[in-house]
Amino acid sequence: MNRIQTGIRTNVSTFLRTPLNVVLALLLPVVVIEGWGQAMAGLPTLPTVEAIPIDLGRLLGAIFGVAIIAGLMGLAQMISARAADRRLVQTGYPPRTLLATRLATLGGVTVVVAAVNYGVLWLTISPEAPVLTFVFLVLAGLVYAFLGALVGALLPRLFEGSLVVVFLAMMDAFLSGDSPLAADIPEFVEYFPLYHPKELLQEAMFQGTYTTGDLGFVAGYLLVLLVLVTVVFGVTMRTSGGWSA
Amino acid sequence: MEAPTTSTTEATTSEVLVRADEIEKTYGSNLPFTRSVPVLTGANLEIRAGEIVGIVGGNGSGKSTLMNILVGVLKQDSGAVERTGTVGWCPQEPLLYDRLTVTETFRLFGSGYGMTAEEIDEAKRRFASKLDFEQYLDYRIDQLSGGNRQKINLSIALMHDPDVLMLDEPYTGFDWETYLIFWDLADELAADGTAVVMISHLIEEQSRLDRIYEVRDGHVYDVTERESETEATTGERRRKADE
Repeated sequence: MNRIQTGIRTNVSTFLRTPLNVVLALLLPVVVIEGWGQAMAGLPTLPTVEAIPIDLGRLLGAIFGVAIIAGLMGLAQMISARAADRRLVQTGYPPRTLLATRLATLGGVTVVVAAVNYGVLWLTISPEAPVLTFVFLVLAGLVYAFLGALVGALLPRLFEGSLVVVFLAMMDAFLSGDSPLAADIPEFVEYFPLYHPKELLQEAMFQGTYTTGDLGFVAGYLLVLLVLVTVVFGVTMRTSGGWSA
Repeated sequence: MEAPTTSTTEATTSEVLVRADEIEKTYGSNLPFTRSVPVLTGANLEIRAGEIVGIVGGNGSGKSTLMNILVGVLKQDSGAVERTGTVGWCPQEPLLYDRLTVTETFRLFGSGYGMTAEEIDEAKRRFASKLDFEQYLDYRIDQLSGGNRQKINLSIALMHDPDVLMLDEPYTGFDWETYLIFWDLADELAADGTAVVMISHLIEEQSRLDRIYEVRDGHVYDVTERESETEATTGERRRKADE
């Protein structure tokens, strides 16, 4: 029986049968996008940004919405069934295949979440480059999905892991977001997970272009996270010695 | 004084499927002000084909630790474990995916064992009929009672017809009828040459066991009594299987 197909099918079933996941994925974007937009509506126009604050706020809300949902999904995928995962690996299911099915599921969920966020965003702003805007939202989600998975593999407790992902995403979106409330932002913010996805998204949304350097940075970020998740997951699923038939 | 078992003292003809040699395991951490707990300090054990072996011992004596090391899901600090054949592991807590149905659970774990779709379906039908959970095949694991969950737990360990079956208190939650079916099943498996190893607390079960190992003070002692009766039990089981 095809392990990857079976694994992805069961992961998707598990996701859909967790009502909180579905509610979060569908409702959170509306709340976050409009909430963030209204929170920035009263701010003055920024000297370095052409976009009006309410639109910039909505964009930040969208990127935060995608990131936090994808991050929490990544975390839950790693934590919720760790003991069962170890049993599955003991039966002979390769850890890398198991991880691949988890990440593939996460990728699919991230695309759906990004689509919902894009849809909510599109109701209020017309992006200059719609396809690029959507793709960059997906990239932001993937970065956080992998980050959530890494946190889940390192810190296998749902409550503590959720706190880490939520606070990280909030600080990240806030500091990466050109907010006048976050004055004197240090240079290391450029290395935050959402900084370059936000740059890509903002450029695609308001100017219809993108910078290759930002794209390369995001690709590198994803690659590093993928390697780290693979290594950590492999260590946590390691069994001692096999059975020789 | 009773001596711990050694891996070379037994002289029976059955093939040794699992051999543990001088296993040591200590739980602890490298953090300051934390306590290290030595659990196994030189455990030896042999499991032979066709035997029903009980592992007994007090709470916290290291029975589950020993079984996890034998299965391979826990690494020992030192010592060696030799394993031959395939293993089925039934942990004490049903380690299953709560949101999957029983059928999906069989498919997922069956794919782990490398079984074909037909083999998985056949195994599912066989155990659903034997352990009487046919009506729950489309139920999610988290919708099952503790006893039914334990039936699935056991079936997953058995579905690929392993050479060695490792069971950590497998009958928790079983009703009396299922408990008796379980023992019939264990007898059938042993008669077919499967080694059945189980952690057991119940004194009355000891007459059903071919060999009893007690985990005590970090060592494993062979405390099998009435050897001749045990041989008679095994002989009777084989006669029943032949019939």
